Amino acid sequence: MSYAGVTPSARSRAMVRESRHLLFTVAPGAIWIVIFLVLPSAYLMGVAFMTNGPYGLPEMPLSLGSFERLAGFGFLGWSPGNLYTLLRSLWQTLVSTGLVVLVAYPIAYYISTCRERWRPIMLLLVVVPSWTNQVIRTFGWMNLLAPGTPLSSLAEGLGLIAPNMGLYPSNFAVTLGLVYNFLPFMVLPLYAAFEKLDTAQVEAAQDLYASPVRAFWHAVFPQTLPGLLAGVVLVAIPAFGMYVIPELLGGGKGMMLGNLVANQFSGGANWPLGAAGAILMLIATFIGLYAMRRIGKRLGGGEEVVI
Amino acid sequence: MRKRTLKRSLTGFWWFTLAFLYLPLAVVALFSFNASNSAARFTGFSWRWYERLLGNEEILSAFANSMGLAIVSSTVALVVGCLIGYGMYRHRHRKLGWLIVLIYLPIVLPDIVFGISEMAFFVQVHRLTGFLQPGLGTMIIAHVTFQIPFVALIVYSRFVGLDPTLFEAAKDLYATPIKRVIHFMLPTIKPALISAFFLSFTLSVDDFVISFFTAGPESATLPIYIWGAIKKGISPEINAIATLMIAAVAIVAAISLIFSRRRQA
Amino acid sequence: MTINKSALALSIGAALLAGGAQAQENKLYLFNWTEYMDPEIIEAFEAKHDVEVVQNYFNSLPEMLSKLQAGGVSQYDIIVPSNYYVPRLIKTGLVQPLDKSKIPNFDNLMEQFKDPTFDPGGEYSAAYQWGTTGVVYNSETFPDAPKSWSLLFDPEVNPDHPFALMGDGQVNLGGACAYLGHGYDCTDPEGWKEAARLLIETKNRETFSGFSDGTPQLQQLARGVTHAGLTYNGDYLYFKEEDPDTFASLEFMIPDEGAEMWVDSMMITAEAPNPDLAHQFIDFILDAEVGAQLSNFNYYASPNAAAEPYLDEVLTQPPVQPSEADMERLRFTPSLEGESLQVFQQLWSEVQSR
Repeated sequence: MSYAGVTPSARSRAMVRESRHLLFTVAPGAIWIVIFLVLPSAYLMGVAFMTNGPYGLPEMPLSLGSFERLAGFGFLGWSPGNLYTLLRSLWQTLVSTGLVVLVAYPIAYYISTCRERWRPIMLLLVVVPSWTNQVIRTFGWMNLLAPGTPLSSLAEGLGLIAPNMGLYPSNFAVTLGLVYNFLPFMVLPLYAAFEKLDTAQVEAAQDLYASPVRAFWHAVFPQTLPGLLAGVVLVAIPAFGMYVIPELLGGGKGMMLGNLVANQFSGGANWPLGAAGAILMLIATFIGLYAMRRIGKRLGGGEEVVI
Repeated sequence: MRKRTLKRSLTGFWWFTLAFLYLPLAVVALFSFNASNSAARFTGFSWRWYERLLGNEEILSAFANSMGLAIVSSTVALVVGCLIGYGMYRHRHRKLGWLIVLIYLPIVLPDIVFGISEMAFFVQVHRLTGFLQPGLGTMIIAHVTFQIPFVALIVYSRFVGLDPTLFEAAKDLYATPIKRVIHFMLPTIKPALISAFFLSFTLSVDDFVISFFTAGPESATLPIYIWGAIKKGISPEINAIATLMIAAVAIVAAISLIFSRRRQA
Repeated sequence: MTINKSALALSIGAALLAGGAQAQENKLYLFNWTEYMDPEIIEAFEAKHDVEVVQNYFNSLPEMLSKLQAGGVSQYDIIVPSNYYVPRLIKTGLVQPLDKSKIPNFDNLMEQFKDPTFDPGGEYSAAYQWGTTGVVYNSETFPDAPKSWSLLFDPEVNPDHPFALMGDGQVNLGGACAYLGHGYDCTDPEGWKEAARLLIETKNRETFSGFSDGTPQLQQLARGVTHAGLTYNGDYLYFKEEDPDTFASLEFMIPDEGAEMWVDSMMITAEAPNPDLAHQFIDFILDAEVGAQLSNFNYYASPNAAAEPYLDEVLTQPPVQPSEADMERLRFTPSLEGESLQVFQQLWSEVQSR
């Protein structure tokens, strides 16, 4: 730090104190992440620029071959397979995040309006299912949606699905599974936002605006925006990289980007390609985060919106 | 009048969502009492899977590993993440873009990349220094790494929502920083701390991919064990342990209910 | 208060760092398929040698390989891969040659398993169990199912009932090759491409349920989620014996166009912590009575000639022991490397993503 050369004055002492404060609060976590994540993943990113060896492990010399493969060029000429995979992942993420918001928003609000002593228990009720393992929960849905179960028969009777097929495996089941899994991650931050909602402001808005919709839009929504955006981050990103649920509930039919990357590593198939896919995921994610930051600012979040 | 309709439909939606959340678990619990090995049909009531569970050391030790891992990692992450969250808030007028990028990194990295890079790193360090052999220790490190950002974000967004004049008032009220932390800061952000701990715990218990790659031969967690068991179609013993977990959590919920009532009485 | 806290932090740190520097001389680390080992055999081995056996499980061969590549090579003693991964493991230096002088029971193996094509002379591997991958179907839905891959690949044979294929791409591609007349073990790129096109068409049929592993497929069949699929003969029998009512209408067949035969073998990792104990364990499994006990538990065929007198009767007849006609149609899944491995990966990735 460059404060050493400055003549001691009250102002610079305060600055030094502030900097030390910053150091003490932020440094432990920052150093932890640098050592245990940045270094290891930098190594892995480097792998994307290496050549694929005969058994899928990275080798020298450096090359851009893995990016060509990712773009769809291979031994067989160009193919749109990977492009389909990318678009499918984006669509699935969009739909499931949207649905999670639609369910979580009223739930979080409802909890915040209940009596204070009930709230922790209600939150607990929402979170508890995710304490059991993802695989078990998904297995429960497999049982519920299989052909011949009441839900499937109902859907069949209503003509929503072809006979014999059942609700699972299907894209519908995957979306349902994603919503089910990520609901708590949206409810928690949204509840935190609702919980500290400034009710005076809301009441003022109710007096000011005739319609409750406008009152909501001007007084409630902006206040919950930080929680909402935090929730979207917590939901959309894991949904984008998810591959256990599509595999179990979708029958592994529609490959997602997460599956593509995972297969390259867990299949011992092609580490450089997997690393290149990981870089693609990161780019897509950062674009999404940037877009949300812009949206947040435009909707009046201002400096409160961290992302 | 309109307000009451809204409240009533919200209540209805709440119960509907609860049913949605618990229906699959109910199915799991039901099949844990199935008399036959079939995951397909309920053929009668029996305790046999619970009896077998008690004799299955691997499931029990996997369960113990999962719990230990979740509690230790969430606690460490709560301390470290809370500090960052506060630091981010206090110094939010500075240029902290690098810090925000750093904090988002664990969230945006795909699990599989996260897991593989950690594993390669730990193995390398172990070769060179003898420390960090893959096992519970490395799993705790990996879990803390992905929990820190979640804790930090939740704590930060709580601070951001507070009235800044509160901090001034606290400065006048309490002389030392430590007193401020104990009597003002911690009580104020308590809801955020609780939800951050819940979230960390949830993430840890639920994580499969990162655990899988950082685990050693003796530190298999429940998700790792279960993943292996899918190969044979899920055995009812796993239904049984899931049911026990649900029951355990229900008991915790009941206890906290009693406590919060007593405090108010 | 602060002193206590830093003491706590220090002790946690110390525990993290130290976590592992322990002596492991009396422990054997076994990395095996899930539920592929009779717990009583483990107990007997532990009692005999006064050691502890730590079991870890994998769900698929790719998963096992990646775990070894990422450092597991120095953490596990014994792995149990299938035939087509054996050459890969040897060539990448992840396993060590067996010291036959420490495995007197190696002689118990049948001749063909002592000198398999995938590991000539059995230098690195000792057979554990063997079996076949065939078509399993619901005989109520398909009362006169053809003994053919057409049950899966021909929409006219099965127009409107859900069916599944394997999670392992090589087995699917082999099946499609066999159906198209190129033989189950085809490796020429043109045959593969044709097979991959067939798989893409099949996958996009409305009645295709998904790719899933052999054992879950059995559960799905029993539950009525699917009506035809692929599975392993031993698992099929295991479930049928365990729950005869539920599995009564399920039938297992080896398509006449040819299908897979596999051998799972025990191998010792290159940097095994305890190679001596690993050799003792292999020798223990190859014992006549233990080998029979293993097969009697798993319902898979034993490669152990000496074990034959102790085998349950059900293990000496189909589907565990295929008929001679079927036996001639069975092939090993080819072991791939270099360019052919890359071509396969791309084709399979195409199938999954289109």
